[in-house]
Amino acid sequence: MMKKIIRIFRKDATIATRDAMLIYIIVIPILLAIGILFFAPGVTDSAVKVAMFESDAPAHIEYMENYVQVEQFDSMKEIERRVGKRDDVVGIVPVNEGYEIIVEGNEDQSAIESAEVLNTLFELGATRENTTAEILDFGKTVPPLKTKLVNMLILMVIMLAGMIISLGIVEEKSDNTISAMNVTPVSQNGFIIGKSLLGGFVALGSIVVALLIMGYFDINWLMILLVGLTSMILTFVIGFIQGLGSDDVIEAAAGVKMTMLPIAGSIAGYELLADKWQWTMYWSPFYWAYKANDLILSKAADWGTVLICIAAVTGLSMAIYFISIPKIRKGLS
Amino acid sequence: MKLLSSYLKEMKIASRGFYFYIEIFVAIILLLVILVGVDPNPDSKMVEYIYYDMPEEVYEFIIDKDIKEGKIRQIDDTELELKPVEFEVSNKESGEIISYTYEEKKTVLSKTYQKLNPDTGKVKSTIYILDNEEDIQRLSVTTGDIAATITANEEGEFSYRYFLQGYEKERFSNILYILHTYSPDEVDAQRDLQVVREIGVTERMNNQEAVVPVFVTFAGALMGFFIIMSYIYLDKDEGVISAFAVTPSAVWKYLLSKTFVIITTVVISSSIIVIPIMRLKPNYLLFYMFLMIITYAFAALGLLVASFFDSISKAFGVLYLTMIALMLPAFSYYISSFDPLWLRFFPTYPVLQGFKGILVGQADLAYVLTYSLVFLVAGTLLLALANIRFKKSLSV
Repeated sequence: MMKKIIRIFRKDATIATRDAMLIYIIVIPILLAIGILFFAPGVTDSAVKVAMFESDAPAHIEYMENYVQVEQFDSMKEIERRVGKRDDVVGIVPVNEGYEIIVEGNEDQSAIESAEVLNTLFELGATRENTTAEILDFGKTVPPLKTKLVNMLILMVIMLAGMIISLGIVEEKSDNTISAMNVTPVSQNGFIIGKSLLGGFVALGSIVVALLIMGYFDINWLMILLVGLTSMILTFVIGFIQGLGSDDVIEAAAGVKMTMLPIAGSIAGYELLADKWQWTMYWSPFYWAYKANDLILSKAADWGTVLICIAAVTGLSMAIYFISIPKIRKGLS
Repeated sequence: MKLLSSYLKEMKIASRGFYFYIEIFVAIILLLVILVGVDPNPDSKMVEYIYYDMPEEVYEFIIDKDIKEGKIRQIDDTELELKPVEFEVSNKESGEIISYTYEEKKTVLSKTYQKLNPDTGKVKSTIYILDNEEDIQRLSVTTGDIAATITANEEGEFSYRYFLQGYEKERFSNILYILHTYSPDEVDAQRDLQVVREIGVTERMNNQEAVVPVFVTFAGALMGFFIIMSYIYLDKDEGVISAFAVTPSAVWKYLLSKTFVIITTVVISSSIIVIPIMRLKPNYLLFYMFLMIITYAFAALGLLVASFFDSISKAFGVLYLTMIALMLPAFSYYISSFDPLWLRFFPTYPVLQGFKGILVGQADLAYVLTYSLVFLVAGTLLLALANIRFKKSLSV
C-alpha cells in the first residue's frame, strides 16, 4: 500500500516538474517572501505625509522630515494637485509671516492635526533637547503588519497547494487516467493520499523556507510545523473537492474563486471583528489556522490555545472530508 | 453581425456553465457581508495603558478636566488578564537594559475611558488606567499596544515615560519627544494662528464604500484576466479553436466575443455590489464605461498570455505572478503610509484611483478619460497581438 502511494506521489512530482508547475509553486511563495521583506519597512513608516515647496526654508523642510514623510513641489498648483489625490497628504506653504495648511477636506482628522501641531512646534522652535518625555522599548523587531502579511502568505500557499491537487485531478480526468486507476490494485484511499502528498509537502516546505527568508528563526517551530501539518489536511480536502467537483478548467477556476471567500472572510473576521463577535468565524478552518499562525509568529502563543486551534482545523477539515466522501467516491468512479 | 451572433452563442454557453452563477453568487455573498458585517463608521480599536504616578487629587483633576471638555468619557471598569511573561526593557539613550520575569497569571480591575473625536463623537482609543508601571509594561509587551507613565513632580510639572515595542520607526519616537516640549495651551494658541484652506469638497468613503473600488478592480476586472484564460483552455481541450481553421469566421471575432462574455459577467457582478452600496453617488455612465474598458484591457492581456501556453498548468506561473503583481496597489490603497513611486507604474494603481473618484461621484474627468483611452489602446494592441499569435497556430 505504502509503496503504491509513494509511486503515485513520485509520478505526480515528475509530471509537475515537467510542466514547471512544481517550480512555480515553490518559487512563487519564496518570491513573495522576499517581496514582504522589502515591503515591511515601507508599510510601517509614518502615516502622515506633507507637501511643501522646494523653495521653502531648508531648516523647515529638514525639521518636518524628522517627523513625517515630506514631498517637495515647485508650484502651488503642483502642491494642490498632490493634496487632491486619493491618499492623505496635507500641504504646508509659507504665507506672509506664517504658514497656510492646505487640505482636501476628506483626510483623516489625525493626519491634519499631526501636520498642524508639528508645524506649530517648528514655529515655536521646539527641539528634542527640551522634551520631558523618555522612551523605552521592549526590543521587538518584527512589526505586526509584517506578521499579518506572512500569515496571509501562508494561507495563500495552502490555497495554491489545493490548486495543484485540483488542477492535477482535472487533468487526470481529461486524460481518463482516473478510470484507468480503478482497474489497478491501487485503492481509492491510496490514490487520494498519493495525489495529496505532493501538494501538501510542497505547501509545508514553502511555508518553512518563506519563514526562514523573512527572519522568523526564533519562533516555536514545533507549533508552526504542527499547524502546518494540520493545514495539509485542509489542503487535501480543498484540492480534492475542487478537483473532483470540476469537470473542466473553468469549473476549477470557479472553485478557486469560491475558496477565496472563506479565506478572505476568515482573515477579515479575525482582524476586524470585536472579541464578542469572533465566534461567528468558528466554522472556518482557515480562521483557526490564521489565528494559530498569528499567535505563533507574534510569539504570543501558548500550547493550550495552539492545540485548540489545531484540533479545530483538523476536526473541521475532517468533517468536510467525511461529508464529501460520497462526492469524492463518485468523482473517482 | 457575425460578431453579435458569436457573442450571443458564447453568452448562451457561459450561462449554462457553473462559473457564471458562481460569479453572481460570490457577488451576492460579498454584498451581504459588507452590508451586515462591516460597520460603515467603526470606532478605533486603538488601546493605551496608562499609569498616573501622582497624587490622587492631581490625577482626578486631570481626568475631570478632560471629561468636562468632552475629550474623554468613562465607561465600565474592565477586568484585564496579565499573562506570565519574560521581557527586557531597554533605554536606547542611556543603554540601560532591565529584565523582568512574571511567572504568575494576574487579574486586575482597570478604570476605563474612551478618548473621543470632538467633531464626530467617535471613539479614537480606549484608555486603561492601572495602578503601577509593572502592570502597564506587562500588558503592553503582550498585546503590542502602547503604554505610558505620566509623572507629576512637586512643582506640578509633568514628565512622560513611553513604552514602545521596538519596531516603531524613528519618526514615531521623534514625534513623541517633540510633543512634550511645550504645554498644550501654548501649542493651541500658536496653532490657532495657522490658516487652514480646503481645496475640495470631496467626501471620505466610509468603511463599507471603501471595499467597493477594490472589489470592482480585483474581483471584477482582474478576474477577467484569469477567467478568459480558463475559457480559452477549455475551448482548446474541446478543439473549438482548431475548428476555427475550417470556418469562414475570423479568429479575432471569436476572441472578441469571449472578451464580451467576460465584460458582461463583470458588469453584472459589479452592479450587484455597486448599486446597493453606492446608490446614487456615482456617475454610472462613466463607471460602466471605465469598468468595460478596464475589463477589456485585462481580458486582452489574458488572451495574449494564453496564446503562449497550451494548458493552464503551464500558464500557471505567469498567471499567478501577474495577478499578485497587479494586486500590490491594494496595499497602498489601504495603507496610506505605503505609496512608493514604483507602485504608481502598476496598471491597477490608476484603476483604483479612477474607480474611487467615480464611485464617490467626484471623479476627475480628465484623469478618467485619459486612462480610459490608455487602457483602450493598450487593450486593442494586446488583442491584436493575441490575434496574430492565435492565427499563426490555431492549435496552440
